[in-house]
Amino acid sequence: MARAIEPNPSPVLEAMRQIREDAASYRGIWSWITTVDHKRIGMMYGVAALAFFLLGGIEALLLRLQLSTPNGQVLNPDQYNRIFTMHGTTMIFLVVMPLSAAFFNLMTPLMIGARDVAFPRLNAFSFWVFLAGGIFMNASFFTGGNILQGELGAPDAGWFGYAPLTLSRFSPGEGVDFWALGLQILGIASMASGFNFIVTILNMRAPGMTLFRMPLFVWMTLTTSFLIVFAMPVITVALFELLFDRLFDANFFNVAKGGTPLLWQHMFWLFGHPEVYILILPAMGIVSEVLPTFARKPLFGYPFVVFSGIAIAFMSWGVWAHHMYTTGLGAVANSAFGVSTILIAIPTGVKIFNWMGTLWGGAISLKTPLYFAIGFIAMFTIGGLTGVTHSIVPSDYQQQDTYYIVAHFHQVLFGGAIFGLFAGIYYWYPKFTGKMLYEGLGQLQFWLMFIGFNATFQPMMILGLIGMPRRIYSYPSGQGYDFWNLLATVGAFLIATSVLIFIINVVATTRRKERAPADPWDGRTLEWSLPSPVPAYNFVEIPTVHALDDFWHQKYTEDESGRPVPVVAGASEEAEDEEVDVHGIHMPSPSVFPLITAAGLPIIATGLIYDPAIVAVGAAVLVVGVYGWALEPATE
Amino acid sequence: MHRTYWPRLLTVALLLAIVLLLVGCNTGTPQNTFSPEGDVASRQRDLFNMVLWPAVAILVLVEGGLIYIIVRFRRRRPDELPTQVHGNTRLELGWTIAPAILLLFIAVPTVAAIIDLGRAPAANALQVKVTGIQWKWQFEYTDIKDSQGNPLQVFDELHIPVNQEIGAHLESLDVIHSFWVPKLAGKLDVMPGRSNRMWFNATKPGTYSGQCAEFCGLGHADMRLTVVAESQEDFQAWIDQQLSGGGTSRAPQGAPALVSGGE
Repeated sequence: MARAIEPNPSPVLEAMRQIREDAASYRGIWSWITTVDHKRIGMMYGVAALAFFLLGGIEALLLRLQLSTPNGQVLNPDQYNRIFTMHGTTMIFLVVMPLSAAFFNLMTPLMIGARDVAFPRLNAFSFWVFLAGGIFMNASFFTGGNILQGELGAPDAGWFGYAPLTLSRFSPGEGVDFWALGLQILGIASMASGFNFIVTILNMRAPGMTLFRMPLFVWMTLTTSFLIVFAMPVITVALFELLFDRLFDANFFNVAKGGTPLLWQHMFWLFGHPEVYILILPAMGIVSEVLPTFARKPLFGYPFVVFSGIAIAFMSWGVWAHHMYTTGLGAVANSAFGVSTILIAIPTGVKIFNWMGTLWGGAISLKTPLYFAIGFIAMFTIGGLTGVTHSIVPSDYQQQDTYYIVAHFHQVLFGGAIFGLFAGIYYWYPKFTGKMLYEGLGQLQFWLMFIGFNATFQPMMILGLIGMPRRIYSYPSGQGYDFWNLLATVGAFLIATSVLIFIINVVATTRRKERAPADPWDGRTLEWSLPSPVPAYNFVEIPTVHALDDFWHQKYTEDESGRPVPVVAGASEEAEDEEVDVHGIHMPSPSVFPLITAAGLPIIATGLIYDPAIVAVGAAVLVVGVYGWALEPATE
Repeated sequence: MHRTYWPRLLTVALLLAIVLLLVGCNTGTPQNTFSPEGDVASRQRDLFNMVLWPAVAILVLVEGGLIYIIVRFRRRRPDELPTQVHGNTRLELGWTIAPAILLLFIAVPTVAAIIDLGRAPAANALQVKVTGIQWKWQFEYTDIKDSQGNPLQVFDELHIPVNQEIGAHLESLDVIHSFWVPKLAGKLDVMPGRSNRMWFNATKPGTYSGQCAEFCGLGHADMRLTVVAESQEDFQAWIDQQLSGGGTSRAPQGAPALVSGGE
C-alpha cells in the first residue's frame, strides 16, 4: 500500500496537497479520535501511559507513607491491599507495556522506512481497547461504596492473583472481576498490536532494509511482539478459568471440588516470565539506539546484541517456575529451573558488556537521553545480579516473597524499563513535537530520579534480607525495619519530585519558541533524515537502504584509517517536498469505527459483572463497530 | 577535566553504602537471615554469601567501568569523530564464555543443596503438622497424644527441642500461606489440597520469630508465629504441662472450627 506507484504525476501532487490540508485540519479533538496515523496513536499511547504512571505513582506514595513508620495508620489493611494490587497491575499493564507500545508505534515505521504500520485501523483499535481496559480497571475503585470516605472497591488479591484467594469465597465483591476482565480487555489490545508489528516489520521494510540492517530497537520490537502473541493466550486461558470459577461456579481452582490452585501459578508465570521480558526488551532496544548516537560509534557487536535478545526471549519460556520454588515442586524441578535461571544470565550479561563496548573509545556527549541510558545499564546490572541470586534456589527459599524480591524487580522494571523509556522520551521528543525538552531540567530530573531510586529500592534489599515480607500493610517496631522503611519513603518522594520536574519540563517546552532541527543529536537511523515534527506521510519518497545505520553513512564516509569524515555539506540533503513527484502517496483514511468497536468491550465486561442485559448492549455496540469498520470505504 | 570530583564523590558514596549495608545486615534483628540458628538457614546463608561476593565484584567492575568510560571518552570537541569499531568477535566470545564458567561454579553447589535440603525428614524427627488458617497457625504434634488419644494441638507458638530435627507437614484449610521462620529455615508454601513437607532444626535455644510469607488476605501481616527452641527437659516439661491442660496457647478464642473447606 505504502509503495503504490501512481503513474500520473498531477493526482500525486493533488494527493500531497490533500494530505497537507488534512494535516492542517488535524487540530480538533475529532481528528485525534478518528486518527489512524501511527505517530498520533503513539503519542496518545504515551500520554495515556504517563497519566496512568502518575496514578500508579500516587498509589506507590500512599503505600510508602503507610510503611514509613511501624504500625502505620495512613491506610487500613483493606485499602492497602487494594492499592498495592492496583499499583502493580497499573505499572505493568497500563504504564510500561503501553509506553513501550508508544515507541513501537512512533518509531517502527520511521526506522524501517514505511508510511505507517501494516494495519492502521487495527492499530487505532489497539489503542482504544487499551484505554478502555485501563479506565474499566480503575473504575473498580468506585464500586466499594463512598470513595470519599476511603471505601475502595478495587481488586485486593495482588497483581499476581493467586488462586484460591481470588475465588468468590475469599474475595467477595466485584474487585477481582474487574481485574480479570480488565486484563482480558488489555490482552486483546496487546494481541492486536503484537500481530500488527510482526506483519509491519516483516513486510513493510523499505527496499534494502534487510533484517540485519534493522535498527536494534526494531529487532527488539519484533522479538517483543512475538513474545506478546505467544504469552498473552496463556494468561487469557488462566483468566477465563478464574472468571468461570467466579461467575459460573466452575471448579478449576476450588480445592473442595477437586480443583488445583497450583495450576493458576503455572499458567500465570508461564505468561508472567515472558511478560518480564516484554517489559524490558523494548527499553533495551531504546538504550541500544541511544548509546551509539551519543558515543558517535556503531553498536558494538550488533549481531551478538540481536541474538542475545532473541536468546533471552526463547529462554524466558523455560524459567517460569523460579517464581514457584517454595510451592514444593520437588528437588528435580527446582534444580532444572534453577539452572535455566542461571543460564538466562549469560545473554543478559552479553548485552551489558556490548553496551560498555559501544561507549568505549567513543566521543561521548553527556546529554539527558544518555544519562538515562547509562542509568539503565547501572541499575539493570544490579537487577541482573540480584536475579542470579534468585537462581540459588535454597537461598531463594529465604528471599522469596520478601522485600528483597520487591527490590530486585524494581531494579529491573524501574531502574531498567522506566529509565530506558525516559531515555527514549528525551531522545525522540523533538522528532514528534518539533521542540527540544530543556537539557538542564532533564539532567535535574535524571539526578533526582537516580538518587531517589537508589534511596527507595536499595534499602528494600536490606529489608528483605533482614526478614521483612512483601504485601504486609504494617510491621511492629523492634524488627530493625524502621530506618530503612523511612529512607525508602523519602526516596519515593524524591522520585515523585523528579516526575514533577519532567512535567514542568514538558509544559515549559510547549512554550518554547525555537524549533528542533531535524537531526539534533547527530543520529544514525532513518527517522533523523525526516523533518521534526514528521509529516503525516513520513517519507516523501520511500528511501533505499544501503547499510546498517544508513543515515550516518549518508552524513559520513570513512578515510583509509577507518576514521569517519563528514560528507561535503549539501550532498546528502533531502530534496524539498515540492520537487518530488515520482511516487504517489496513498494514506489510510481516518475512521471512528476502531473506537466504537473498542467501546463495546468494557460494556460487555460490565454486563458480565452486573447484568446480562448490559452484555447485549455492549455486543450490539461491538457488532456496529465491526460492521462499520468492514463496510467503510478505504478511501474517500 | 572540571568533573574529576565525580569519581571521588561516587567512591565516597559507594563506601558509605557498603558501611550502611554492613550495619544493616549485622544487627541482631529477630528475622535476620544473616544470623541463622538452624542448619537449614545456615546452609542457605552460606549459599547466599557464596554468590554475593562474586556479584559484588562484578558490580564494582561494571559500575566502575562505566564511570571510567564516561570520564575517559567524553567528547572534547563538538566535531570529534571516533573510529567506527563494529565489534570484536574474540572479545565477545570471551565475555559470553567467562560468565558461563563462573555460573557453572555456582550451579553445582546450588543443585547439591537443593537435594540435601529437599530430602525427607529423618525417621527419628519430631513430627509436626502445620496448618495455615486465615489468619492463624495451628501446630499438631502427630506423635504426642493427649488422654483421649488426640494429637496435641497448639496455636501460633511452636515449642521444639533444640538440636532435634523437626519433620513438618504443611497443609492449609483455605488459601495459600507460607511457613517461614527466617533464623531456622527458608519458607515453604502451605497449600490447600496438598501436603508439603520440610525438615529444620534449631541449633541454639531461643525464641524465633516468623510469619506468613504468602499474601493471604486482610490479616496477612498479622499472621505471625513464634518457635521456642528449648532443651529436651524443658520441652518435655512444656509438653506435660500442655497435656495436663495447664497450657495457655491451646485453644485461643476465635479459633475456627477445623472442618475441611468448601461448600
